[in-house]
Amino acid sequence: MGLVNGVFGGTKRSTKRLVPLFVIKRITMQKQKKATSGCVLRRAYCAAFSPRFGTQQSGKPHRGFLSRRELMSSVAAAAAFTIVPRHVLARSGQSPPSEKLNIAGIGIGGRGAGDLDEVGSENIVALCDVDEKYAAGVFKQYPKAKKYCDFRVMLDKEGKNIDAVVIATPDHSHAVIAMTAIKLGKHVYCEKPLTHSIWEARQLTEAARKAKVATQLGNQGQASEATRLVCEFIRAGAIGQVREVHSWCNRYISPRGLDRPKDTPPVPETLDWDLWLGPAPWRPYAKFPDERGELVPYCPFNWRGWWDFGTGVLGDIGCHQLDPIFRALKLGYPTSVEACCSGVNEETAPLASIVRYEFPARGDLPPLTLAWYDGGLMPPRPAELEDGRRFGDADDNLYVGDKGKMLGHRLIPESRSKEYGKPPEVLPRSPGHHKEWLLACKGGKPAGSNFDWAGPLTEVVLLGNIAVRMSQQLYEKGLKLYYDGPNMKVTNLPEANKYIRDQYREGWTL
Amino acid sequence: MKEQKKIFKQQDKKACPERSRRITRRDFMGGAAAAAMAFTIVPRHVLGGPRNVPPSEKLNIASIGAGGMGASNTNACKGENIVALCDVDEDRARETFNAFPNAKKWKDFRKMLDEQKDIDAVIVATPDHVHAVAAMAAMQRGKHVYVQKPLTRTVWEARMLTEAARKYKVATQMGNQGHSGEGVSLICEWIWDGAIGPVRQVDAWTNRPIWPQGIDRPKETQPVPEGLDWDLWIGPSPWRPYHSCYAPFNWRGWWDFGGGALADMACHLLDPVFSALKLGYPSSVEACATKVNNETFPLASIVRLEFPARGDMPPLKLNWYDGGMKPPRPEELEPGRKMTSVVFIGDKGKLMCGEYGDNPRLIPETKMKEYKRPPKTLPRVKGSHEQNWIRACKGGEPACSNFDYSGPMTEAVVMGNLALRRLDQKLLWDGQNMKVTNDDKANEYVRPTYREGWAW
Repeated sequence: MGLVNGVFGGTKRSTKRLVPLFVIKRITMQKQKKATSGCVLRRAYCAAFSPRFGTQQSGKPHRGFLSRRELMSSVAAAAAFTIVPRHVLARSGQSPPSEKLNIAGIGIGGRGAGDLDEVGSENIVALCDVDEKYAAGVFKQYPKAKKYCDFRVMLDKEGKNIDAVVIATPDHSHAVIAMTAIKLGKHVYCEKPLTHSIWEARQLTEAARKAKVATQLGNQGQASEATRLVCEFIRAGAIGQVREVHSWCNRYISPRGLDRPKDTPPVPETLDWDLWLGPAPWRPYAKFPDERGELVPYCPFNWRGWWDFGTGVLGDIGCHQLDPIFRALKLGYPTSVEACCSGVNEETAPLASIVRYEFPARGDLPPLTLAWYDGGLMPPRPAELEDGRRFGDADDNLYVGDKGKMLGHRLIPESRSKEYGKPPEVLPRSPGHHKEWLLACKGGKPAGSNFDWAGPLTEVVLLGNIAVRMSQQLYEKGLKLYYDGPNMKVTNLPEANKYIRDQYREGWTL
Repeated sequence: MKEQKKIFKQQDKKACPERSRRITRRDFMGGAAAAAMAFTIVPRHVLGGPRNVPPSEKLNIASIGAGGMGASNTNACKGENIVALCDVDEDRARETFNAFPNAKKWKDFRKMLDEQKDIDAVIVATPDHVHAVAAMAAMQRGKHVYVQKPLTRTVWEARMLTEAARKYKVATQMGNQGHSGEGVSLICEWIWDGAIGPVRQVDAWTNRPIWPQGIDRPKETQPVPEGLDWDLWIGPSPWRPYHSCYAPFNWRGWWDFGGGALADMACHLLDPVFSALKLGYPSSVEACATKVNNETFPLASIVRLEFPARGDMPPLKLNWYDGGMKPPRPEELEPGRKMTSVVFIGDKGKLMCGEYGDNPRLIPETKMKEYKRPPKTLPRVKGSHEQNWIRACKGGEPACSNFDYSGPMTEAVVMGNLALRRLDQKLLWDGQNMKVTNDDKANEYVRPTYREGWAW
């Protein structure tokens, strides 16, 4: 990201969308010629952080360092827009880097507040939340912003005044909100996971590409130094070929392992329950016991464990934790996945689960098993780890190579880490996760976790939940779940495909 | 020492042809153990001890914990004289009490053993926390014992019972009845035949617990049901008020009384692993689990034991999964075929079997079909697991799962529960000295503290 200015010249760019295609193509070709002339760092960046995900699925194997063009292939056209000088494409309402974006926040009471802080240098022109009470503090923080309860009303009334939206609602409403915004040509920052279902993730990815808006998923770790180090260590061969990665997370995200609550107190006056439900099947507002046994409502906070609204620990954290694994090891869609858990339940995610993905060979990278653990379960402690040293924290990744192991972004044991030192720094560093998106909105290059990257990543994460929900059937039938990624289809257990796409409530469509 | 071992070996063969599979195990057991074991082959009449009951006569058997699983064990021995039945819960034991009208009925096994002098042998099928004190009391009085699995709730208790059985020269058997089945013998023969090459890993899993775990102690109290002596039920464990969440069924989930899924099932599932791979003490253990509290076992856990090389067998990693967790499905397994409870992973193939060592198969099935089975060299147990013990009580060879075998196995099993107390560490284990060498705190869980009046 630090290269944005150096490569692209920095100023006067726009994400202009209404340009005749031939103009763009011509400019693109000129710019690409210039850009590929010997910029090693930039090529490296593209290989590691290109938003093009899972290129092996398109039949093109990875070759380590691909040219930007090869990697970008189908998004090349979209990328091209980013380098068109503003003066050529000028249209009122577009923001060059010198101008501020007009941003609307949707779902602002929780994580949304933090996201808004990160983009607070821009104009926060509108705020939307179905829970007045939860959002009250943030409403107050931005006195000039117009306040809304229904995002559809907001986009309808303020549409012309909004350049970009930040979405931090519960998972089940990400897709309908993001799609509405994309169709209106708004740039979108959406919290992770991108969507509640695989089908939605695919639709958003394609729609964003078509609408040529700047997008970013809220997996801020992708912009970190740690993610770059993981890629650089592995690319430098510090642990040899990697055939096995373990990822675990022991966070408490929400009550889980529960049945549908029977305690249905009246909806608080400050909450629009019907809007909160959005496209999810209707159910009464309710309370249920959390881990301390205290009665809590679905919202705020306690919805993540409920399949109708959230996506469990894997959905919540997977897009963070699996991101560096996918980047460093160039993962695309898996060929198969299997899962086991502490009790399948149609209402909530289990208290603990293990999901095991098998990925095919990718170019010269060997096939890989990725095992995910949550609810306190962990992989075996590696022999390389010194006695008494904590094995990761509540969450971490363990990369098992044929020449060594890496815990998070540190080689183990510590003596090996000291001996090896740092890998060569070949990847450009990020100006910051939210900043990447803001720059992209203003005509910069695509953000590191734009939907071309984050959509497929989310798909794979959510596939794990399908394996969890089908785990008992899979066991009974003696199967792993085989998956056709490009066609979004479980090939050997048709019943599983019901989870690929959610049935929306009447009145809600993508 | 070498010479000594050789002698033991010869003597063993002579005295115990039926269980030659144990002999190899003795080869690698430490010197002290070998010496102690030697005693077991000295004829009883020379050394005194339990009453000599020839095969033509009937044993006088007492049953402690006569309801529940004890009923089934007692029934399997009904060819002998069932002379005493003991249960702290009259209601639960009623059926067994009625089935043996001539047996004397007791509530407190201590009284029974002190007062009723005609008892030769005792079946212990109480909840786990009473196994050790009841079995020890019986053995100290020269009674043969059949003890339900797991032999004990803690490592130290298993060691004490193992040593006591040698000292008092009684016939012992743990209730892992799968050991008397055909499967365990087949697995031994195939693995020793090299069917899957050297084995470096075994994965095992159970769907247990099927009783509540991961919960706190109830705050409300309930009146003790009529007919239940709650204080005796609590036995050596710390006293707490009665609640139906403990007795009669769900005590397995509570630290003070049971051993969770692991203790319930691992003495079955890991039995063929211990036999075929000649396992002794583990060198390390680590566990991970859902939330662990001080009252009940977690809802799900994974326990990973490591064993050092044994003779020409390489070191072994033994992975245990419960609460819905499972190991990876073996790639050799044909689509449409269920993964069963135990998978032996060898350098040259895999072997899969059921919970009790039953139905062993090389996988895939084509490998099984191709496999030229070795001759059945191990003698099979005739009749039931209980009958196998009864023959031992009457001067026959040691029972197939006597404490010299089942004691160390139980120790390794309950090591997993010890590791659950000390998560995020790999505990290094000095088996001979019963000590975790890299975590002092862990050693607090090796031995339980008994309530006053219960220590032996």
